[in-house]
Amino acid sequence: MSNKDLLGRRNFIKGIGAAAGVAIAAPAMAVSESANGVKWDKEVEVLIIGSGFAGLAAAIEATRKGAKDVHIFEKMSYFGGNSAINGGLFAAPDTPMQKQEGVKDSVATMVADQLAAGRGIADEALLRHVAEHAVEALQMTLDAGSEYHPYLQQLGGHSVARTYQTTVSCGAGITQPLLQECRKIGVHTHNRAKFDGFILDEKGGVVGVKMREGYYFDKPESGELVRIKAKRGVIMATGGFAQNVNMRMAQDPTLTAEVGCTNAPGATGEGMFEMFRLGAVPVHLAHLQSGPWASPDEGGFGYVSNYSIYNFPHSIAIDRLSGKRFMNEIADRKTRADAELNCRDAQGNPLPPILITSYEDSKKHPNTKKVLKYNVGWKFDSIEELAKHFEVPVAPLKQQIAEYNEYVKTQNDPQFGKNMTEAKGKYIKAPFTVVRLWPKVHYCQGGVQINTKAEVKDSLTGQSIPGLYAAGEVCGGIHGVSRLGSCSIPECMVMGMTAARTMMQA
Amino acid sequence: MKKCKLMLGLVLAGLVSLSAQAIEQRDYHKEVIGKDCKACHDQGMKNYPSDQACLQCHDVDDLAEQSARSEEDKWQNPHNNLHYGKELPCIECHGEHEAKKPICSNCHTFKYDKHKE
Ligand SMILES: Cc1cc2nc3c(=O)[nH]c(=O)nc-3n(C[C@H](O)[C@H](O)[C@H](O)COP(=O)(O)OP(=O)(O)OC[C@H]3O[C@@H](n4cnc5c(N)ncnc54)[C@H](O)[C@@H]3O)c2cc1C
Repeated sequence: MSNKDLLGRRNFIKGIGAAAGVAIAAPAMAVSESANGVKWDKEVEVLIIGSGFAGLAAAIEATRKGAKDVHIFEKMSYFGGNSAINGGLFAAPDTPMQKQEGVKDSVATMVADQLAAGRGIADEALLRHVAEHAVEALQMTLDAGSEYHPYLQQLGGHSVARTYQTTVSCGAGITQPLLQECRKIGVHTHNRAKFDGFILDEKGGVVGVKMREGYYFDKPESGELVRIKAKRGVIMATGGFAQNVNMRMAQDPTLTAEVGCTNAPGATGEGMFEMFRLGAVPVHLAHLQSGPWASPDEGGFGYVSNYSIYNFPHSIAIDRLSGKRFMNEIADRKTRADAELNCRDAQGNPLPPILITSYEDSKKHPNTKKVLKYNVGWKFDSIEELAKHFEVPVAPLKQQIAEYNEYVKTQNDPQFGKNMTEAKGKYIKAPFTVVRLWPKVHYCQGGVQINTKAEVKDSLTGQSIPGLYAAGEVCGGIHGVSRLGSCSIPECMVMGMTAARTMMQA
Repeated sequence: MKKCKLMLGLVLAGLVSLSAQAIEQRDYHKEVIGKDCKACHDQGMKNYPSDQACLQCHDVDDLAEQSARSEEDKWQNPHNNLHYGKELPCIECHGEHEAKKPICSNCHTFKYDKHKE
């Protein structure tokens, strides 16, 4: 297709879109084209698409490895993607804080925990590669100025405490310093720039991209099409597709628009889909993860998510119909999300369960104050008061709390087999804080297949696609069925750094 | 530009009530900008103002100071917030001719009493 035809068709489609009042035309244009006879509008050395952990880490590492002209393109008006709204929880084995706290851990232990959650289909080589380099990634954030709470956390599915968290309890505590670092070292950052397709040489290698500059997310047809040559290649760091309801439902019809989502609006996946069109191997697309710690009382991730992630080990989750526990509060995410979805009233309508914590223990987390202040959580002085507010049968609830407190004492939970170590001495007693729970679509385990060099494999040839690298949530198969909490930040950053290293050596 | 003035003229003359919506404008902007649509629409009349347009008159640091919150809530300052610092383009939360919700409300229940939707 010549450029002229391309534009002609574009304008034609634009007309239809405007007339019908719907914007459906954009995806039809996102097709790769041959570099043969292309008039390049620009040329850059390293071209990165997406400005989350993966893209930012790739840009910094490429610069450290000697790249002089590194560019990050981001379709939204703001930088950071999911990474900027993420919970700031960062897992790594053999860290300085583990040594300080006397926690015994290793690359092998972290990989083993992740393999268990992956239920046999995780990519062991990639998990090992990430675990081996996780401390380097942590160091990159520290060098850029990230600050972490002075304690470690043990999240669901992890056999030891190995999770750092930024002092602001948010991924922005990492993306903001990394973005500043990028600017300091001369990385060029472009907002409102939407990747629209690859440009290929005669061997099928990626030599550039089509980009729409001046793109407005709420106007899918906006922006000026430019063709940018990438001398060393292209790193795709465009994240997942949890906001793409059609694609979600194609994989799992229960994930309708009525199911909430924790992701940033830009997580629509077209970068991933374009790689599939190019020949990348789609892996594990149907494994979409829902967060069992989210609240129906606020949008997205909000304040409750981190509040409950911190509090689950010393809290009880109660089914409001029965007044009883219904799950191991620190089982992996899928186990808990499925259990929560089963909490329904007599008519089968969702009846979000509640998480009960002693205020004495919950107040140690900075979000507790906010949860109460912004009316997404409540404080009660007695079980009666609590039970009345949520219409929970009070007698079974009282009995359940008494039984559970016995488990805290004996350090053994015969009911659901919860590991009670972190609950030691933390009895459920008044005053209480309570939040409601309901899962939200959170993470896409699926994506394009990569190797430990962050190269993207072609499904037909079995070879790496020349000039193309991918890192972060856009990649699939690494975690298998279920990703453990706090394991995405190390993955995104390590694979972003890896992509940059491979590209600079190529 | 011409069209914009023309429509205004018609509305003022009370002939077309329909267009009133199209040119809804804040009182304080009427005083300063008057009918000069291009003062803000620097990318052409059919497009949104550029991300820099509002900054011709407004200073981010001043705005951040005006909307500052207490130490405990300091990162809920819409003009200098936790996720995006001072970089969020104005039109993410403000629309001169249409009501908009603050971007924070995607995930948070914060109240911004002075925010005009
Ligand atoms: C609310 C929330 C909390 C989380 N908490 C944690 C946590 O505490 N610990 C943890 O390990 N993991 C957590 N995760 C998961 C983790 O944050 C994500 O997996 C990670 O941020 C993905 O990073 P990324 O760099 O791959 O993509 P993102 O950070 O999503 O960045 C991708 C960027 O690419 C842009 N983009 C997409 N398509 C295009 C295109 N066509 N052209 C140009 N740009 C494009 C997007 O707009 C986006 O800015 C959380 C996720 C969410 C949503």
